[in-house]
Amino acid sequence: MKKLFFLAFTSLATISFAQDDLLSMLDSVQKPTSNKVFATFKTTKVINAQSTETVKKNCLDFHIFHRFGNIGQESGGGFHSLYGWDNISDVRISFDYGLTDNMTVGFARSKQNELLDFTFKWRFLEQTTNESVPITLCLYENMAITPMTFTSLYAGTTENSDAFSDRLSYVNQLIIARKFSSRLSIELLPTYFHRNFVKGLTNPDNGATQDNDIFAIGFAARYKLTKRSAIIVDYFHEVSQYMTGNSQITYYDPIAVGWEVETGGHVFHLDLTNASGLNENNFLTGTTDTWKKGGFKLGFNISRLFVF
Amino acid sequence: MKRILQTLTLVLGVGYAQAQIYLAKECEISFFSKTAVRNIEGVNKTAKPILSTQNGEIAVKISVQGFKFPDPLMQEHFNENYMETDKIPNASFKGKVNEKIDYTKDGENKVTVTGKMNIHGVEKEVTLTGTLTVKGGAIILDTKFMVHLADYNIKIPAIVTADLATDIEVKLNSTLELFKK
Repeated sequence: MKKLFFLAFTSLATISFAQDDLLSMLDSVQKPTSNKVFATFKTTKVINAQSTETVKKNCLDFHIFHRFGNIGQESGGGFHSLYGWDNISDVRISFDYGLTDNMTVGFARSKQNELLDFTFKWRFLEQTTNESVPITLCLYENMAITPMTFTSLYAGTTENSDAFSDRLSYVNQLIIARKFSSRLSIELLPTYFHRNFVKGLTNPDNGATQDNDIFAIGFAARYKLTKRSAIIVDYFHEVSQYMTGNSQITYYDPIAVGWEVETGGHVFHLDLTNASGLNENNFLTGTTDTWKKGGFKLGFNISRLFVF
Repeated sequence: MKRILQTLTLVLGVGYAQAQIYLAKECEISFFSKTAVRNIEGVNKTAKPILSTQNGEIAVKISVQGFKFPDPLMQEHFNENYMETDKIPNASFKGKVNEKIDYTKDGENKVTVTGKMNIHGVEKEVTLTGTLTVKGGAIILDTKFMVHLADYNIKIPAIVTADLATDIEVKLNSTLELFKK
C-alpha cells in the first residue's frame, strides 16, 4: 500500500513538473527580495515626538509647526481669547535635508526660549517585509542654543557671568519602531536630555533639586484610517524627582493626539496637546498645563517636501 | 522518503531544464505615465525573465517595490497608495510565444506572446507584441505595451487625475543567456 502510494506520488510529481511553470522555477533562481518596510510614519515628526522617518536623499523638508494658546478658561483660554486662538504657545520652523536616504541634518528655530537647534537623525536599521529585521532603529540627536537675553536666561538666580555653554542643551534619542500592519505603527523613544544650565530650583515637597540630566521615555503611534489620513498620538514620561509632586510648579506628561492628512506633496497634522513647546528641549521639562483644566491647545504641523 | 523524492525531482528537473532554459542576465522594465501636467517614470532592474526554447514559454516575476523613481515621494505613493506593495508585492507574466522560432539561428524575429498578466493581484489574458532576437547564443527580448490601470483595479483619486495617466506605457528589455546551475 505504502509502495503504491509512493509510486503514485512520484508519477504525480513528475507530471506536475513536466507541465511545471517557469514561474515556480523562477522562484528557485530568483532570490526572494527582502523589501524594506516603508512609510512607518508619514513625516519626520509624529506630533511632538520624532518619528523614524528621514528625509530622502537630496530632498528638503520644510516644516511649520504652530501651537495656539490653551483652550480652557481655567488655563487662560476661553471665550475672550477665542479658545486659545489669539495666543501663541510656540511656533517652530524647520528645514531638514536628506544627506542619504537614511541620514538627515536639520536646522530649526522655535519661538519658545528662542531656540535655535541643529538636528541629526540616522536610521541605521530598517524593518523588512520578510521579518528578518522586525524593527526600525533610529538615532536622533539635537543641540539647541538659546540666544535669549542675559536677564531672562539668569532670571531668579544670582549668576552674574554669561557663559555661552549655559545656553546649550542636548537631546539624545533612540527610536524603536515597528509597523505592525499597513495601518498600525508604534514606536518607543528612550530619551536622554541634558541641559548645561539649570536654575537649581528645589522641589519644596521632596527637596529634590532641578536636574541637568533627565531621562524620559516616549511612546507614539499612528493608525491609518484611509489611504491618506491617519490618527496619531504621542506621549512622554520624564523620570525626575524634581518634577514629581512639585506643588510650586506642577509638571505634567506631554500628551498629544492628532489627525493627519496627506495631499501629495504636503502632509497636514491637526493636533491637540497639553505641551506648549514644540521640541524636546522645551516640552520635556516645560509642560505645566493639564488636560483636566482645559490646558490643551490646538496646533498644526505642515510638512512640504522639495525634491531637487 | 520525501527528501529522496525531492532530490529525485530536482535532479531530473534540472537535468531536463538545462538544455533549453534561458534566464535573464540583465533586464530593465520601465513604465511611463504622460499627462499634460507631469510625466512619471519608474525603472525596475530586479526582474529576471525566463524562457523555454522547447515550447516558447516565457515567464517573469517582478518585485514591484523594485521600481525606482527620480522623485522619492512618488515612489512612496506608488507603493503605498496605488500598487499596495505591502499586500501585493509581486507582479508577473506567464505566456507563450505564438510563432515558431529557430533559436539556433541568429536574427531578429517579430513575435507575439499570449499569456496571463498579473498586476495588483488581478489576472488578465493579454497578447504582447515585440521582438525576440537571437544573437550569439543569447536571446534579447524587447517589448512595449500599454496597461490600462482600471483593468487591474488600480484606482486613481480625483485629485490626481490630472497628474496620472489612465494608461501606462510599459517597456521591457532583457538579455537572456542559457541557464546553467
